[in-house]
Amino acid sequence: MGKLMKYEFRKTMFSKIVLLVITGVLEIVFLAGVFLNWDDGLGWGIIGLTLCAIIGIFYIGIESLMVFHRDLNTKQSYMLFLTPYNSYQILGAKVLENGISIFLAGCFYAALAALDLAIAIGYLGGLKELLEMIQIFLEQLEITITFTTVDSLLFVFEVLASWLMTVVTGILAVVLSATVLAGKRFSGLVSFLLFFLIAWGSSALMNRIPDTLAVTTSYLLSILAALACTAVMYLISGWIMERKLSV
Amino acid sequence: MLECNEITKTYGRKTAIDHVSMKLEPGHIYAMLGPNGSGKTTIMKMIVGLVKPNSGSILYRGVPVNKESRCEIAYMSTEPYFYSWMTAADVGKYYDDFFEDFSMERYLYLLERMELTPDMKTKTLSSGMMAKLKIAVTMARKAKVYLLDEPLNGIDLLARDVIIRTVIEECGPDVALVISSHLVDELERVVDSAIFMKEGRLVLMGEVEELRIQQGKSVVDLYREIYGHGGEA
Repeated sequence: MGKLMKYEFRKTMFSKIVLLVITGVLEIVFLAGVFLNWDDGLGWGIIGLTLCAIIGIFYIGIESLMVFHRDLNTKQSYMLFLTPYNSYQILGAKVLENGISIFLAGCFYAALAALDLAIAIGYLGGLKELLEMIQIFLEQLEITITFTTVDSLLFVFEVLASWLMTVVTGILAVVLSATVLAGKRFSGLVSFLLFFLIAWGSSALMNRIPDTLAVTTSYLLSILAALACTAVMYLISGWIMERKLSV
Repeated sequence: MLECNEITKTYGRKTAIDHVSMKLEPGHIYAMLGPNGSGKTTIMKMIVGLVKPNSGSILYRGVPVNKESRCEIAYMSTEPYFYSWMTAADVGKYYDDFFEDFSMERYLYLLERMELTPDMKTKTLSSGMMAKLKIAVTMARKAKVYLLDEPLNGIDLLARDVIIRTVIEECGPDVALVISSHLVDELERVVDSAIFMKEGRLVLMGEVEELRIQQGKSVVDLYREIYGHGGEA
C-alpha cells in the first residue's frame, strides 16, 4: 500500500510545494517585521501565516476529494483499478495519505506558530509584558483559563481529526455518486445533500460528548469519536466500491 | 483458464452485455470482433474488474476474478489513461512498482522498437505514439492473459506491422491473447480463433480453421455476413 500512497502524494505534490513556498515567503515577511521593526511586515506576516495555515489545511482535504472524484470519473481510474489491490486498499491509501498530510501540515503550522511566538516574545519589547497583563486582567475578572500545552496540542489534533472526518464524508458522497446513484438524474445534487446529511449526523454524534467533562478528556473523546466516524465511513465506502464501482 | 458464465451488464435500460458465456484457453490468439457498442470493451473491462457484472461470473483458474488475477491478466485500454504528469519513463516505473511480471529492460527495448524515448511526456504524444506506448508497457509484462482493446487504432500501416509483430512475439504457448479490432483483414493473418460480438451478445466463437471448414467462409466473409446490412448470425 506504500506504493499507492507514494503516487497519491505525487498527485498533490505540486500544490503542497506551492503552499510551502507561500508559507516561506510569509515567514520571511514576518521575521523581517520582527527584526527590522517593520510594523506593516509584522502585521501582514501574522495575518498571512494564519490564513495560510487555515486555507492550506482546508485545501489539502478539498484537493484530495477533487483527485478522488477525478480518479473515479476519468480514464485515469484505470491506473488505480488495474493495480493488484482491492478497493479497501486503494481507498485506504488515499485516506491515509490525506490524513498524514493534514496531520503533518497541522503539526508544521502549530510548530511554526510556537516558534514565531517565541521569537516575537524574545525580540519584541513589550509583547511578553502584554501577555502577562492580559493574564492578570483575566485573573482579576476571576476568569481562570488553565489551557496547558497538552490541551493546546489536543485542540489542534481535534480540529485536524474533525477535518479528516469531513473529508472522508465527502469521499463517501463521491462513492455514492459514482456507484448507486450513477446515471440517475440529479445524482450530483443528491450526493451533495447526502454529504450534508452524513456530516450533520457525524457532528450530532460528536455533540453528544458531555460538556461537564474535563477539557483534556473532552478533547480526547472528540478525537476518538472523529477517528471512529472516519473509520466507519471508510469501511462503508470501500464496501460499496468493492461491490458496485464500475469505472 | 478464463471462463465467463452468463455474464450480463446493464447501464440503466441499456443492456451492454447480454448473458455471454465463453472460455479462453492458453496458447490461442483470439480476435474479438464487432462494431462499436457490441460489448467488446465492456467484456474486457469486466475480466480485469474495472466493470462489475450485474449477474453471472468470471473465473480465472477456477476462482472469481480479483486483485490476484490482475497480477496475471494485462489489459490495454483503447483510451489514453496515464496520468498527465507522466513521462514514458514514469509510466514504466509505475508498472514496475505494481506488477511483478513487468520487465523494465524489456520495456526500454520495446520503447526503442516503437521509436519512443523515455523522456517523452505522455500529454504531448500523438494518438499513434500513445498507442505504441500503451502496447510497449502492456507487453513488457509477462502476463498469462493479454487483453488488447483496439491496439491498432490511430496507427499508420507501417507501425501496425511493428505492433502486430511485437505482440505476437511476446506470446508464448502458455498465454492467451485477445485482440479487439475493426481491422478484421489484418487480424485474420495472425489470430487462430475469433469471437463475434453483436449488440452485447456472443453470436459466434471458434477457431478460424474450424470456422473456415464448417461455414466455408473466411473470418472477413463471416464479419461481412454478421455485421452487414440485415446480417444475422
